[in-house]
Amino acid sequence: MDSALFRLLLMRLRAGIRLRLIQLTTSRGLLFSVSFCGIIWLLVVANGSSLETGFLADAASDRQALSTQISTYMPLGMLAMSLLTVVLSTGPTFHFSPTEINFLFTGPFRRRDLIIYKFSAYVAGATLSSALITIFAQAQTGSALTAFIASLLTLIFVQLNSAVIGMAGQALEGSRLARFRWPAIALLSAAVTATVVYAWMTPECSLFDLLVEFRHSWIGTIILSPYIVFAELFVAPSLFPHLFVWASIAVLINAALLHLAIKLDTRTTDRALKENARQSDRWERITQGGSFWATERTEIPSICRAPIVVGLGPIAWRQALNVARSSFRVVAVFVGMAACVGPVLSAAGISVTDTRAVLFFYIFFVFILPRTLVCDFRGDLSRMEVYKTLPITPWRICAGQLVTQVVLACVVAVTMIVSIVVFEDGVRVPDALALAAFVFPLTVLLYTVENTIHLLFPTKLLPMGRADFEFLGRSLVEFIAKSIAILAAAAASAAVGLMTFTTIRPSLVLSGLASWITLTLIGLLTLVVMQYAFRRFAVAENTD
Amino acid sequence: MITVTNFGKQYKGFTAVKNLSFSVEPGQILGLVGSNGAGKTTTLRALCGIVPPTSGRLLVAGHDIVREPIEAKQNIGYIPDDPRLFDTMTVWEHLAFTAAAYQLVDFEETAEALLVSFELIHKRDTLVHNLSRGMRQKVAIACAFLHDPKVILFDEPLTGLDPQGIRGIQQAIRERAHSGAAIIISSHLLSLFENLCTHIMVLNLGECRRFGTMSDVLSEVGETDSNSALEEAYFSITQDKEKAEA
Repeated sequence: MDSALFRLLLMRLRAGIRLRLIQLTTSRGLLFSVSFCGIIWLLVVANGSSLETGFLADAASDRQALSTQISTYMPLGMLAMSLLTVVLSTGPTFHFSPTEINFLFTGPFRRRDLIIYKFSAYVAGATLSSALITIFAQAQTGSALTAFIASLLTLIFVQLNSAVIGMAGQALEGSRLARFRWPAIALLSAAVTATVVYAWMTPECSLFDLLVEFRHSWIGTIILSPYIVFAELFVAPSLFPHLFVWASIAVLINAALLHLAIKLDTRTTDRALKENARQSDRWERITQGGSFWATERTEIPSICRAPIVVGLGPIAWRQALNVARSSFRVVAVFVGMAACVGPVLSAAGISVTDTRAVLFFYIFFVFILPRTLVCDFRGDLSRMEVYKTLPITPWRICAGQLVTQVVLACVVAVTMIVSIVVFEDGVRVPDALALAAFVFPLTVLLYTVENTIHLLFPTKLLPMGRADFEFLGRSLVEFIAKSIAILAAAAASAAVGLMTFTTIRPSLVLSGLASWITLTLIGLLTLVVMQYAFRRFAVAENTD
Repeated sequence: MITVTNFGKQYKGFTAVKNLSFSVEPGQILGLVGSNGAGKTTTLRALCGIVPPTSGRLLVAGHDIVREPIEAKQNIGYIPDDPRLFDTMTVWEHLAFTAAAYQLVDFEETAEALLVSFELIHKRDTLVHNLSRGMRQKVAIACAFLHDPKVILFDEPLTGLDPQGIRGIQQAIRERAHSGAAIIISSHLLSLFENLCTHIMVLNLGECRRFGTMSDVLSEVGETDSNSALEEAYFSITQDKEKAEA
């Protein structure tokens, strides 16, 4: 690599460390980083002690069984990922930021040097990721060194493999071979469908049996041979000779892929530049709270009027349009997932009151859904100026921001309840109706708390690269704060219901109604706090 | 129409604006000029209710922006230097959103006229993220003009505009002032002020160095060899003060 590029790499590394240290000098940054490290430490300790006491004896402690599963399924998983890359890959293989394009592409550097520079930057990041993975993987591999080497080489392979596949696809575009791409994909899809149908129609042979059979067949071994190397890294019984041999082969594979990437790059430079520009535009929009998918169309029929509804209307309308145009697929995926919960639980024989199921529901609704589907203040940080200048009272703006988000979350929750009622035995309709009635106040409370936290402590929704401990810590602290607020509100609501049952009348309907009203009132009180947070929100303190 | 009395703004110990007082009457165009960090944007943001003042009183169309924010904002049109539009909405939908927010029932005719005057009519159904910076600026101005505000605040209005756009915006500002709007423009372009403004205020480090009619300010420097008399006056005002402080 060119010495100037190497120097740049070192300077960027130093700048990254400096940035993290600056984060630690602020009380908020320190608090979130310490919280993150503390929670990770607790997880590691809990993981270690559970292994020692044999708490999870059926999985982690049975290293041999897990090794067999890794040897069998990891190569298959990696092959599936490669095939998906063939079908879906459109993005740049080595992503250069606009700044890098402006400074480095016009500089006296060979393209080969630039690729190696980018690859080195990726390896630096992957080293850090591998260190984190090592914490959890060493229980399986037996030593931290094995876990680290296996994780690092695998991460590098995954990146290079997808890069080479993407570049090969781009290089073949326009050639005769490109005509075979879709027929090949169709043939492969047909083979997969036929396998699934065969497994479904043959009671004595499951899909997993067929996969195991393929993995251990001679043709399967040939097709999967590059991927088997990386699976063997994780199950190597000793450092020498097993790990040494497999790691040497893995290094050779990665070196060959890097060489191939450099060769292919000369044939795909134009396409890579175009894709880089597209990707950078998208990221730029996301960092400003915009939509990743909004670039797909240029013109659409406008909706002529927005509802007024005492000021709430235009705000809710804007968020609804945003979801319809940029997050529709996300909503569809969540509704689909919710609809599948009933059949999956039923097939797996897990009751809805099982601890694992309850934990899944909680994490799904309190962490995954709010983090993925964002259509309220959290996605509008860069547009707060607009809301501040509108002649609409703060509480109406806040309520308007919550409408779309709450409605969508309720739709997902109700779909899940219906799915469970239909497919799970032993779930009574009145119980489901009672639960559905509580979905609305709980969702209002959840998103009011979420937005209040965000308005009081505004921050970006994306981490600043790897090892943004402040961001990770903040996410965990937010989750804990939300959990405390929701559990406290639920406890207060349950207490009022119980009091009504014992002191006024022993009626389930009346005590349920009392609980519902309490929860709704708590939600409305939180809305008051949210509008206070909106009022005191300081739009970027630009003093020009 | 706009009355600012003893306005001050502090950010965590840093004074952005100190003891500022001025007024702008209907039909007047006030130009705010000053170096970076002089307090121009802070003053405009405080006037339209984005940032609360630390001290002083800001009246817009007779309404205190702190005590009666809704009534005051009904009369304001604000065009920021970098308009942040909603990237999943079309040009027309921005106008529809603004109309609903300002509770305008029959806005279509005015909106169409604004699109024509800003040469945006053929972009009516375009998602705004596909527009150039200048086009986005025009959309922001059209939205700000839709409810016929009595007070219009421009922060760097000509950034990103093409020559036709610059001429169009200058014409629109003049027309709004003639129809009785009180206008404040913040910019670094002194030539813009010479073309448009009736009054001028020179800000430096958050303080008012000079406030008066354009003719008064220009007359202070008299005949000069320079191409721009205002430029001469501006440097004269700011450098005199710096020398005095030194």
